Amino acid sequence: MTDSTKSGFYEETTPGKDQTFLDANELVLNMGPQHPSTHGVLRVILKLDGEKVLGTECVIGYLHRGVEKIAENRTYAMFNPYVDRMDYVAAVSNGLGYCLAVEKLLNVEAPPRAAYIRVILAELNRMASHQLWLGTHALDIGAMTPLFYTFRDREEILKIFEKYCGARLTTHAFRIGGTLYETYDGFEQEVNNFVKFVTPKIDEYEELLTTNRIWVERTRGVGLLSGKDCIDLGVTGPVLRASGVKWDLRKAQPYSMYEKFDFEIPTGENGDTYDRYLVRIAELRQSLRIIDQAVNSIPAGPIMAKVPKIMKPPVGEVYVSIEAPKGELGYFIVSDGSTQPYRLRVRPPSFVNLQALDKMVRGSLIADVVAVIGTLDIVLGEVDR
Amino acid sequence: MLDYVTSYLHSNVTPGQAGNWLWSLVYILIIFAGVSGIVIVMNWGERKALAHMQVRLGPMRVGPHGLMQPIADAIKLLTKEDIMPSEADKPIFWMAPVWVVMIAFSVFIVVPFGPTHAVTDMNIGILFMLGVSSLGVLGVVMAGWASNSHFPLMGALRSSAQMVSYEIAMGLAVVSAVVMTSFTGLGAYGIGDASASGTLSMIGIVQAQAQQHVWFVFKFFPVGLVAFFIFAVAMIAETNRAPFDLPEAESELVAGFHTEYSGLRWSLFMLGEYAAMVAVSSIAITLWLGGWLRPFPSVHGPAINIPFFWEHPELGVVDFVFSFAPAMVLFVLAFFCFFNAARMPKHPLLKIQTMGLYAFGLVLGGVGLILLAPPVRDRIQDIFWFVFKIACFMYMYIWYRATWPRYRFDQLMKVGWKVLLPLGLGVLLMTGIIGLSPEILAWLKGVV
Amino acid sequence: MSIAPLLNKVFMVDLIKGLKVTFKYQNPNQVYTEQYPLERPAIAERYRGLPRLNVNPDTGETLCIACNLCATACPEHLIVVQSERNPLTKRKEMTSFSYDVSRCMFCGLCVEACSTDCLELSQDYEFALYSRDGLVFDRERLERGPEPTVYTR
Repeated sequence: MTDSTKSGFYEETTPGKDQTFLDANELVLNMGPQHPSTHGVLRVILKLDGEKVLGTECVIGYLHRGVEKIAENRTYAMFNPYVDRMDYVAAVSNGLGYCLAVEKLLNVEAPPRAAYIRVILAELNRMASHQLWLGTHALDIGAMTPLFYTFRDREEILKIFEKYCGARLTTHAFRIGGTLYETYDGFEQEVNNFVKFVTPKIDEYEELLTTNRIWVERTRGVGLLSGKDCIDLGVTGPVLRASGVKWDLRKAQPYSMYEKFDFEIPTGENGDTYDRYLVRIAELRQSLRIIDQAVNSIPAGPIMAKVPKIMKPPVGEVYVSIEAPKGELGYFIVSDGSTQPYRLRVRPPSFVNLQALDKMVRGSLIADVVAVIGTLDIVLGEVDR
Repeated sequence: MLDYVTSYLHSNVTPGQAGNWLWSLVYILIIFAGVSGIVIVMNWGERKALAHMQVRLGPMRVGPHGLMQPIADAIKLLTKEDIMPSEADKPIFWMAPVWVVMIAFSVFIVVPFGPTHAVTDMNIGILFMLGVSSLGVLGVVMAGWASNSHFPLMGALRSSAQMVSYEIAMGLAVVSAVVMTSFTGLGAYGIGDASASGTLSMIGIVQAQAQQHVWFVFKFFPVGLVAFFIFAVAMIAETNRAPFDLPEAESELVAGFHTEYSGLRWSLFMLGEYAAMVAVSSIAITLWLGGWLRPFPSVHGPAINIPFFWEHPELGVVDFVFSFAPAMVLFVLAFFCFFNAARMPKHPLLKIQTMGLYAFGLVLGGVGLILLAPPVRDRIQDIFWFVFKIACFMYMYIWYRATWPRYRFDQLMKVGWKVLLPLGLGVLLMTGIIGLSPEILAWLKGVV
Repeated sequence: MSIAPLLNKVFMVDLIKGLKVTFKYQNPNQVYTEQYPLERPAIAERYRGLPRLNVNPDTGETLCIACNLCATACPEHLIVVQSERNPLTKRKEMTSFSYDVSRCMFCGLCVEACSTDCLELSQDYEFALYSRDGLVFDRERLERGPEPTVYTR
């Protein structure tokens, strides 16, 4: 019998005669696509022994929209708005990665002013993503107020996005070759005000959570992932850094003038949920540092490089990856010389990070599964594309 | 017949003790209405207070500042379709919310709102309260079982395990408070004649605090405080509120024992939960916070004689000042109503709401004025202080829910068994040792 | 363990710190909610809302020259421009302009492509309708522009 589900996962111990499901040792529980904690439509099938998790299997694809196929039928400039819809929480970094990839294919480079604006928006975007992560993660663990505080602070970032490019969520902020929009009047002032506004707020999040004994007990030792496992599984982003591996693409392979800025890479020690929380809070502070440096020194100049109206990149392929808030976001574009890409493949960080769920959750309790899914910071739009 | 009605008015015992069934019935109805009123206010108050702590506004549309929201919620729940799972155990499914509400309200028979303001005063009052509130666990298990589905069953079993394990810690804290009633000495460390009999009756416990001139939370400081703290933590776990609300949390896998209940049945569960919150808060208030006594119950100050305004010259100026507290609280509430009504946006759509809020403020102010009148003022003191302390406890419940994450189930049980139980034993031991310290010292002197 | 962490643990300093934070935010002037529809939010000028066709303010004629660049630029191909050649002025004149808002993703590529100042995405965001028919905007609806909803209740 060749059954495709014979991964060994579904072979549960069936109860014997005169036994009910309560007598069987293993229980297969479905944490279905509709669930308040699975950050989107993710289906997790848990194999439980009482409260302990013996194994998991993730079923994804509920949000698949065929973005990569769509790319084959759109020109490079036309495809730009579609990219925001993948990681809809942090749309600016998706756009940045795509523009950098096509620019590499076309062999142009964005002018310095555009690069600085890109850096400022990308770091604001990182802060927005981490704040949303913090709010929802705290909500999963039971603390319901940090959600509202982080969303209030995130609102200020979205207002800046709205004033700059016209949309809060699906920003379409950058164009191939630079940026379309010049900074609006008062941009620097508002960003500086935002930096002043949000710095004490991060201290408040820490006051509410970091030393709180309930929070520490819920997150310390939960979802352990060693550095070696991270590298084996291909996990990147704050998850990797919290396991002790000091790897950040902004320092290792700098793009868009990141080498001009002075910031640190926070790392953790144990690779548990608490360390990932600390790493992301520290990244919030480092992003503020970068924004502070960038916004006070934006060079004057053009904001768009010389890019032909109808883009026909030379035949070839390129892979460009950036440090998105969730990890390494990569774009692999194969061009056959025409105006539309032959193949566009996105390496979503959430998709690869989600593979680590099984390793992190084996042996924990059910309540930890929710915490671990939260700490991986997945967005199903990215996982499914 | 008329004698039957009026004879009670001259007695100084509770109607139950006086054997007057008519007045007992009246008191039962008043308490039922009162607790339901507290639940309704809590519904509104929880949403508004929680919202303000979360930098948002809460319900604003239904009445002025959402004051009619509980009515809207009640209408919605009552008109909802009554869904029963097809394989559910029908009698038990029906019985579970009824049981929970019955138990939650039965506890109020012995809760004293004043020296004679209780339905009855059993001489085992506190034991009755603890025993009856333990029966509530049965309702939870029935709900989980009758729903015929994994999640409610697991949630119900977890919830019942949690409630049972925290009752032990509650019991130990209660015993230490009962032990404190058997002393006659005055003040926080006064012991007096330790062989005087203690009492389990709720009214007796408060009267012991009045006699000893100290609230038990300050007695043998910090022993009383630790006992109160143990009870405070245990009572939050007992009522399944944050941070111990894993069994009914939505973001966990198991959605809780009341998953399959909708409409009126679910509202009965919520009613039972809030009533249980009020019940355990009233135990805590009676045992440690002096029940109906005002703060500093024994400080009376020099006697003053202001005819018509104060007809108790034997009681003194401090009592006179504190006697205005109920009216002051209501005036403050009325002031808030007027202030917010003036602040409402001047939009034609909001005219009715603004007028309603002004009217509500007038009503509150009117009640405050009534409470200023001397005959009312004398009688309202006890009830006011008790309800005020319950309000403080309810606010703390909401505050805790807004602030802290929730414990995982094994950590919850660890706190109950490994932290509170030893602490409770320690507190009991310390109460006994301090209380019997004269005898112990005498024995030691005799031995040495 | 040393004395300070022990005292912190016993007196629950960490929990009380959290309580202080939430207590502080009860101040009514910390409330961040906007009471829509009484208070409308402030929309940025560059906001990409509903589309509209601008007309010449003096003559009332449309500014569209039927160059079809917007239709070419749209990733979803939802703009259809029909034109006819005016024999008198020897220019193309736009006769009908159809814009399917139900499929539009408000990316703004059409606005970038427009060679005159005609097509623009306004600041209107209130276009909920009861049926899908009203979501294909014709020229008349586009020239009418934003119609903010007035709430009566």
